[in-house]
Amino acid sequence: MNRPLAAVAGGLSGTAALTVLLLLFEVETRSQIGMFDVVARFVGVPGSTTVGFVLFVAAGTLAWPLLFVAVEDSVPGSDPAIKGMGVGVLLWIPFLLLGRAELSGAIVFAFAGLTLVAHLAYGYITGAVYARLTGRTPSSGTLGDGSELQG
Amino acid sequence: MSLPLVPLLAVVSVLLGGLACWRRRESTDPTATESPRHPASLRTDGGEERPDGGRRTDEDRRVSEERRTDGGERRADSGSESQMPVIGTLYGREHKTSKPYGLMRWLTSVDHKDIGILYLIFGLAAGMWGATDAMMIRTELFTPGTDVWNAETYNGLFTTHGLTMLFFFVTPVFTGLANYFLPLLIDAEDMAFPRINAIAFWLLPPSFVLVRAGLLTEVLAKVIDAVGPRVEFLYALEPPTMGWTLYTPLTTQLANPQVDLLLLGLHLSGLATIMGGVNIIVTIFTERGEGVSWSTLDILTWSLLTTSGLILFAFPVLGSAVLMLLFDRNFGTTFFAVEAGGPILWQHLFWFFGHPEVYILVLPAFGLTSQILPKFSGRKLFGFKFIVYSTLAIGVLSFGVWAHHMFATGMDPRLRASFMVVTLAIAVPSAVKTFNWMATIWNGNVKLEAPMQFLVGGIGLFVVGGVTGIFLASVPVDLVVHGTYYVVAHFHFIVVGIIAFSMFAASYYWYPLLTGRMYNKRLGTIHAVLSIVGVNVTFMPLFLVGLMGLPRRSAQYPVEFTLLQQVATVGAFILAASVGIWLFNMVNSFRTGPVVRTPDPWDLKESNQFSREWQWFERRMTEGLSNPQALADGGRVADGESDASNDAGSDAGAGDEDSDADADAEN
Ligand code: HEM
Ligand SMILES: [Cu+2]
Repeated sequence: MNRPLAAVAGGLSGTAALTVLLLLFEVETRSQIGMFDVVARFVGVPGSTTVGFVLFVAAGTLAWPLLFVAVEDSVPGSDPAIKGMGVGVLLWIPFLLLGRAELSGAIVFAFAGLTLVAHLAYGYITGAVYARLTGRTPSSGTLGDGSELQG
Repeated sequence: MSLPLVPLLAVVSVLLGGLACWRRRESTDPTATESPRHPASLRTDGGEERPDGGRRTDEDRRVSEERRTDGGERRADSGSESQMPVIGTLYGREHKTSKPYGLMRWLTSVDHKDIGILYLIFGLAAGMWGATDAMMIRTELFTPGTDVWNAETYNGLFTTHGLTMLFFFVTPVFTGLANYFLPLLIDAEDMAFPRINAIAFWLLPPSFVLVRAGLLTEVLAKVIDAVGPRVEFLYALEPPTMGWTLYTPLTTQLANPQVDLLLLGLHLSGLATIMGGVNIIVTIFTERGEGVSWSTLDILTWSLLTTSGLILFAFPVLGSAVLMLLFDRNFGTTFFAVEAGGPILWQHLFWFFGHPEVYILVLPAFGLTSQILPKFSGRKLFGFKFIVYSTLAIGVLSFGVWAHHMFATGMDPRLRASFMVVTLAIAVPSAVKTFNWMATIWNGNVKLEAPMQFLVGGIGLFVVGGVTGIFLASVPVDLVVHGTYYVVAHFHFIVVGIIAFSMFAASYYWYPLLTGRMYNKRLGTIHAVLSIVGVNVTFMPLFLVGLMGLPRRSAQYPVEFTLLQQVATVGAFILAASVGIWLFNMVNSFRTGPVVRTPDPWDLKESNQFSREWQWFERRMTEGLSNPQALADGGRVADGESDASNDAGSDAGAGDEDSDADADAEN
């Protein structure tokens, strides 16, 4: 599969996972975080959660994965999934800073931790699907001399 | 068309895309569509006639395996190792078997290994959820006031945390390991009742949904909210708030309808657990292979047998008691009304189940420890017989100690004293095990691989948890620290310290066998160190907090406890990070870890401990490599498979009947 298409497929899976995780965390924390508002603030349309969500999905599926393809080769490392986690962290920082808004106190830890997990999952899944579709999954050799087993 | 429809479309397209992807992968699965015997004949790159008449050569294997590992395209940067076939259950789909492929395999399987893996994945997911609850508890406790979540939510959190961890994390994970490894260890074809096995597993997801329905209906409500009207009744279920012990009168009086669902869910999960237990018992009695007699049974099997016996006697009590509670709540019965049996009746019924339950949780962990420890000590398990006897002794005694959970209820002091004595007596077999473990390591040739790190760490933490348990067993001490954080610290040293640790040890020890790959050893060690540090940092301070008298199950506390509570919270975050590392290691090594080409990755032959599950792995590996279309999943070759392989393409459709026939044959 060609690389941009593979990246978009990856982005789609990653965004699906990210969305589900954020939704679960939102409910698990009894809506104290206000994840939809956070997302809206993050994409720059504070107040309109629906538009915010659509932009968020669009960015997660198209924008970031394509950007990722563009820079992937110049980033050191051989596993796109790991590089994807890097992207996830890079995205998480503004998400944390812009999204946090009026949250304060210990809940910030929970907010930071949970959203970091979600973003790492996004990056990893995007990268892993992309790697699988383009045949870029690296290998780290074998363990044990199996020569006597070769049939 | 209004905007809110867009997210809906996005969700639908995600589903469609996923489906398309899945279908595509299924139909292009090379081993399903081409003859494994003549891979060259189906080469897509021109397919010229071969001089050697289509016999398999190394080049063929390279080509076919290359297709297999990366979805069928040639790799630009292929390193030669990447084409190694991987021999692991989870790769079963890449080989032609009589089972259906893909999703259907997992939904319909009655193979004990598949069901074992389903159990493991379910337990893992539940454990993650329960751990999230724990992190939220610790977040709330970071500050003295009730300022992160309100008190109701806090109560909901420790309730769901406890229930999730005990019933949906530990039990399923151990049942999963039992399912996978018990038949291999006793050389059985499968579990005695494969279909009941599948039913027992498939009852768990619905019961989990019932127990945690409040949050799940709320997710649904939120999703509907985002695209349409607000559905009020979906918001009606609130997280239950009475603690995992379900004490009356609180539980009979809570108005929240979620409590009823929870009781039904617990009842259902109890049924599932009993079915699993019966299956294990019958399997051990009737399905042992030739050459496996009672005297050559391994220690894990003994533990699972005892555990299942406990399940058989304890869970029906829970099931009945929970129904009585349900009737009290809904049908006006008065079992636990003050004028009738009263709250004490509930406590007796609950703990008659509850104490054996803690041994149901811990005995498999002891079994895993006893099983794996010798492999990394280079010595046989010290005092094998005494470990078996102590396991059986614990099994029997555990039904005679329940009232030590009720010392503070004002029961007759003579009864109290007798329960204290029996409780102290049960510490003896546990100590026997601990000393035997230490003697096993003593003078051994210790290999500090990740499993061993977790076992040694686990034994150390278990000593702390066990010794503090002896204090709790003595009436005068218990009257002082009862209901404080001391208790929380005590049992977490056990539930995290040895139960979760033994699972981690098992996950590393059997990782090569399960996945055909090796995990990342450095990450494993980091995980072990962080976990051991994390448990101590999290739960040590709670001993002090408890000794200073702070009651548990409260969202707020006086300011003088702040420092200790904050240390505990930091420890909990360390634990969370370590679990994250573990998860990453498991997932990433499954993708890219070194392919295991030896059936003996732990050098067990050297110390003469190459046990049956690894022998099975060896058989599978030899067959798998010399004959790649043979089964990677350990199932049997369907009759005439090698001839039929030419029309393997049509097999996907016929697969369902095939597997049915096969399953019948096996039953
Ligand atoms: C991941 C690390 C864990 C942390 C940080 C943690 C933390 C806590 C805390 C702070 C409480 C006390 C809440 C209170 O009394 O106010 C608690 C309760 C409890 N935990 Fe954990 N826990 C962890 C893992 C586990 C595991 C693995 C299990 C079981 C296998 C478990 C079982 C329980 C039970 C049964 C309770 C009592 C619930 C109740 O009071 O109804 N925990 N946990
Ligand atoms: Cu007990």
